[in-house]
Amino acid sequence: MSLSLDATQLDRYSRHIIMDEVGPDGQARLLDASVLVVGAGGLGSPVIQYLAAAGVGHLGIVDDDVVERSNLQRQVVHGDDDVGTPKVESAAAFVRRLNPDVDVDGYETRLTKENVELVADYDVVVDASDNFPTRYLVNDFCRIHDIPVAHGAIYKFEGQATTLVPDGPCYRCLFPEAPEPGTVPDCATTGVLGVLPGTLGCIQATEAVKLALDAGDPLVGRLLFYDAMDMTFETVPYRQNPDCLVCGDDPIDSVADVEYTDACTVSSD
Amino acid sequence: MHVTVEVVGEETHDVSVDDDGTYADLVRAVDLSPHEVSVLVDGSPVPEDQPVEVDRVKVLRLIKGGAP
Repeated sequence: MSLSLDATQLDRYSRHIIMDEVGPDGQARLLDASVLVVGAGGLGSPVIQYLAAAGVGHLGIVDDDVVERSNLQRQVVHGDDDVGTPKVESAAAFVRRLNPDVDVDGYETRLTKENVELVADYDVVVDASDNFPTRYLVNDFCRIHDIPVAHGAIYKFEGQATTLVPDGPCYRCLFPEAPEPGTVPDCATTGVLGVLPGTLGCIQATEAVKLALDAGDPLVGRLLFYDAMDMTFETVPYRQNPDCLVCGDDPIDSVADVEYTDACTVSSD
Repeated sequence: MHVTVEVVGEETHDVSVDDDGTYADLVRAVDLSPHEVSVLVDGSPVPEDQPVEVDRVKVLRLIKGGAP
């Protein structure tokens, strides 16, 4: 048994520790890991729950919203008493209540080029964002700094997940630029099945744990498409694009020249 | 020419396009907007203003949300 785990931890994480694929060393690795969750909404909630329960020792949470009553149908780390409270505050309180092993840092802000350097302090990032500028900023910054990302997105009854690692294709290899504003609807206007982000967020949390453990076969070069109404999963393979402006043959080395509004385009300068 | 258009998560369509038809024409033919999708050929996106050169494409819709 690893000497780095105390008796309480050996008990708390016993179902991890008895598995060869995790074991005491793997659990110690999780306790040493730092994961940043970008977004504490529908996707971020189950991610935060399961990473905290798993004993990821350092969790960062970025979100600039406050809890609204209409969030509670799906954002399961927040409760009725949290309405009006910043989501990072509510989520951090949830984590502290669940697992005292986890240090949690809340950033009550929207991730932008001006503050994105905070991401560099983390081993793994979970993209649970709800907008394209943040999603492309996370992709670009993490690729430049060799930080793996567990990505997820949802719409009504369907979701997409993929994992972006330094040696694999990035999000721009699939979607080179964001769509024009207003051309892709969001959950606020179309609705979303409350349990849907639970399914996708758990897939993202699974990927984040695997990345932190350096175990298993992550969802690299594959986009998982989930349809809740048909209860089907489809895997779409995709490849690194040599013309990708972030991970292709002539990549950018900074996000400074990228415009993270509207279409998230990269300057040709 | 005839092209098989597989929309991920939805139906697969057989679409006819003119010889100079573009990938954007394929997308519009299956009632989607070129703004909201990537057209994948062998796992990589193709510029949608380019003429169609293959007989099978996969169309992946870009979705936005993390459920704010």
